[in-house]
Amino acid sequence: MEKKSFLKRLTQSKMFVLLLLYIAVAAFYTIISKGQYLYWVNIRNILSSMVITAYLTCGAVFLMISGNIDLSTAQVSTISGILMAQFLMKGFPWPLAILAVLAGAALVGFINAVLINEVKFQPFVATMAVSYMVQGGMLLLSHGAAVEVSNKYIVWLGTYRIAGQFPVNILFTFAIFTIYGVVLAKTKFGKKIYMVGGNPVAAKLSGINPKKVWYILFINNAVLGSVAGMLQAARLRSGSATGIAGGAFAGMTGAILGGVSFGGGSGGMGGAFVGLVLLNGFNSGLTLIGINPYWQTMASGALLLIALTFDYFNTKRLMRR
Amino acid sequence: MPEYIEFNGIGKAYPGVQALKDISFRAGAGKVLALLGENGAGKSTLLKILSGDIQPDEGTIIIDGEEQKFAAPYHAISRGISVIYQDRQLVPGLNVIENIYSGDLPSTRLGLLRKDEMRRTTREIIDAFGLPIDPEELVGGLSVAYQQMVEIMKAYRRDSQIIAFDEPTAPLTDAEISILFRLIRKLRDDGKIVIYVSHRLAEIFQITDEIVVLKDGRLVKTMATPETDEAELIKAMVGRDIGDTYSRLSRNDKLGDVLLEVNNLVTDAVHDVSFTLRKGEIAGFAGLVGAGRTEVVRALFGADHILSGEIKINGKIHKAGSEKASIEQGIALCPEDRKEQGLIMWRSITDNICLPVLDKLKKLLFLDRKKSETLAEKAVERYSIKTPTLDKIVSELSGGNQQKVILGRWTSDLIDTKILILDEPTKGIDVGTKAEVYQMVCDFAKQGIGVIFISSELTEVINVADTIIVMHNGHITGTVKREDATEENVLALAMLD
Ligand SMILES: Nc1ncnc2c1ncn2[C@@H]1O[C@H](COP(=O)(O)OP(=O)(O)OP(=O)(O)O)[C@@H](O)[C@H]1O
Ligand SMILES: [Mg+2]
Repeated sequence: MEKKSFLKRLTQSKMFVLLLLYIAVAAFYTIISKGQYLYWVNIRNILSSMVITAYLTCGAVFLMISGNIDLSTAQVSTISGILMAQFLMKGFPWPLAILAVLAGAALVGFINAVLINEVKFQPFVATMAVSYMVQGGMLLLSHGAAVEVSNKYIVWLGTYRIAGQFPVNILFTFAIFTIYGVVLAKTKFGKKIYMVGGNPVAAKLSGINPKKVWYILFINNAVLGSVAGMLQAARLRSGSATGIAGGAFAGMTGAILGGVSFGGGSGGMGGAFVGLVLLNGFNSGLTLIGINPYWQTMASGALLLIALTFDYFNTKRLMRR
Repeated sequence: MPEYIEFNGIGKAYPGVQALKDISFRAGAGKVLALLGENGAGKSTLLKILSGDIQPDEGTIIIDGEEQKFAAPYHAISRGISVIYQDRQLVPGLNVIENIYSGDLPSTRLGLLRKDEMRRTTREIIDAFGLPIDPEELVGGLSVAYQQMVEIMKAYRRDSQIIAFDEPTAPLTDAEISILFRLIRKLRDDGKIVIYVSHRLAEIFQITDEIVVLKDGRLVKTMATPETDEAELIKAMVGRDIGDTYSRLSRNDKLGDVLLEVNNLVTDAVHDVSFTLRKGEIAGFAGLVGAGRTEVVRALFGADHILSGEIKINGKIHKAGSEKASIEQGIALCPEDRKEQGLIMWRSITDNICLPVLDKLKKLLFLDRKKSETLAEKAVERYSIKTPTLDKIVSELSGGNQQKVILGRWTSDLIDTKILILDEPTKGIDVGTKAEVYQMVCDFAKQGIGVIFISSELTEVINVADTIIVMHNGHITGTVKREDATEENVLALAMLD
């Protein structure tokens, strides 16, 4: 039996298309900016801008591959930042504050999963309703005002730079992508996620419990969202109601770029990572060459379409051969 | 009304496979033409080209001397072509009427549907077929057999002149098949062109006039049905003689202790079912579609809720609570519906085969890729699954090869099976491989495994199983030993009230 070589696998993967696209984008900016695009400051900016979305993306990739979706993550993130700030204000020790927030987030994830697994709501509907409830809770708690974060450990996590240059939280980003990537591609649990997303009935008849997978993934997603929110508060030294850039779809964008489809069953972490680099690398270039940041949002949308189009043609090319 | 349709040098390649090459033949009006060939020979691909679903790389289709270009199914339909595929093409959430009319719903000038007209015509067609189907029923709620009938009625309603069937009888029982054949003969007598794909040779002799044999994407032979016989056909298809399948089986002759005992099992669809299965025994379940055979094994496997009754494995009460618990007890269920319940369509062959044994493929924290591939490779060899690579996603395999993947999954070396349940395992599998499947079933029996073998192909159950349990309407109506079984007495039990 013929086996595909590593190179062949690579060139046929979604990641490869995105990588090519990004190389083109980077080359373009490098020329226009006379090399500034490749300066460490800019690269650091690109990596820093991915830090928060990385968590959301990991959660979303897993959930979407398993055939589900969670619209409440962004709200969970926002409330987590505020709650942590408030707990710290009230004098909670910092590890306790974090744990309490994580527990709360896990509860929201659990509720989402119960609504979908047991009450059999559509994930879109259930998590949207939960999203409103969390948002309401957040507004009640904060009255729309920001709460300062001054705890030195937390601020360290959010802002410390190794040798004054390399933000620690970028290391976390790499770590989280690696861990989630390995779990998805190499472990039994990762396989189960694909199987459950691909055909829950068949998975069930093969002894896998889809509900259990979904419980784990919803909780995981909410917890990751919560970590993102707290990290954001730590970076900005305040928990505020403005929430995270990209709103409800921040994580899903990365996931979709990574080739995850709404039907479930396909996609991977590598593509999602390169997708995020592409998105943020593209935006940072726009800033660098002096384009109004409001254009960035629009450009992100266009980029998403372009990436998907490329992927479509790549898939078609493979089918034809 | 067209006189003939001609395929002229048709070729089609997929990554790693030449699905069709240089196919030329002609099908004439008032005749039924059989397309025959092993799994993956290219039959379905040819029909997809005929229906405009895919386009050939080379070659043309000619109707009455006029070259056709089917860029989309719509074009083919408008030229009077209907293809009834292997996998149903219906909308489960719509009712029978809407499905029969899908594609060209008749409407008034205001855009409102002509509901009465649709209902009336549907009723007429259903009556003409003599089927117990309610036109208002949702298609998703119908059994596979009736869904199949709805598709045929759809082609009938369109008044298509060229009608192709891709393994139409696979989900049907004998009674239903005779209805189908009555219809096909009527189509033929009306002067239509019928193309018929099936792996059941007996049917080919009953219903067709000409035969085209494909092998590995090439046309090997064209012949007139009355001038050939099974042996010659098989030889053309497989490339060698396979002899008489059943008498050549090397069977298990010593039955062991009672392995499984089912007492008074009751579920929503099963009434008071009791039977026993010994180690090394092959228990065949015969009956009409809807007789409750699948429901019995699903309950046994823990997939359906049990209302009352008890199940004993090796004399100990087994609480069939979940699929997982059953698998741990050594029960394996190879389900009948490969698309809905069996396969993860967008994953590779390897992934699909390893699904139930992920636990055993772990190396520390990770999955052992080598081991997974070896496992898949064995299945590919054992059942001669036709594929260029193990990475091929299952949706790109031919129908019969998909079925083989499920078989491979539930019969892999890593599955520690005590009771193997095969629900319609040979559905859509070619003759050569069927013989291998029967032998494999016997080999499992020799190892002391108890096999439950459900099949709607009467000849197959009564020849492979040691004991034939016949069901009707959720009841067991009789149990017959192989020595005593004939098609007549089993069928009589299957229709008993
Ligand atoms: N979409 C696809 N992508 C890649 N390969 C395909 C695709 N569809 C079919 N093939 C390949 O083309 C070959 C012919 O397949 P086809 O479905 O026509 O076989 P078949 O004669 O209908 O077999 P069966 O009896 O199993 O239904 C097979 O090797 C199959 O794997
Ligand atoms: Mg086929």
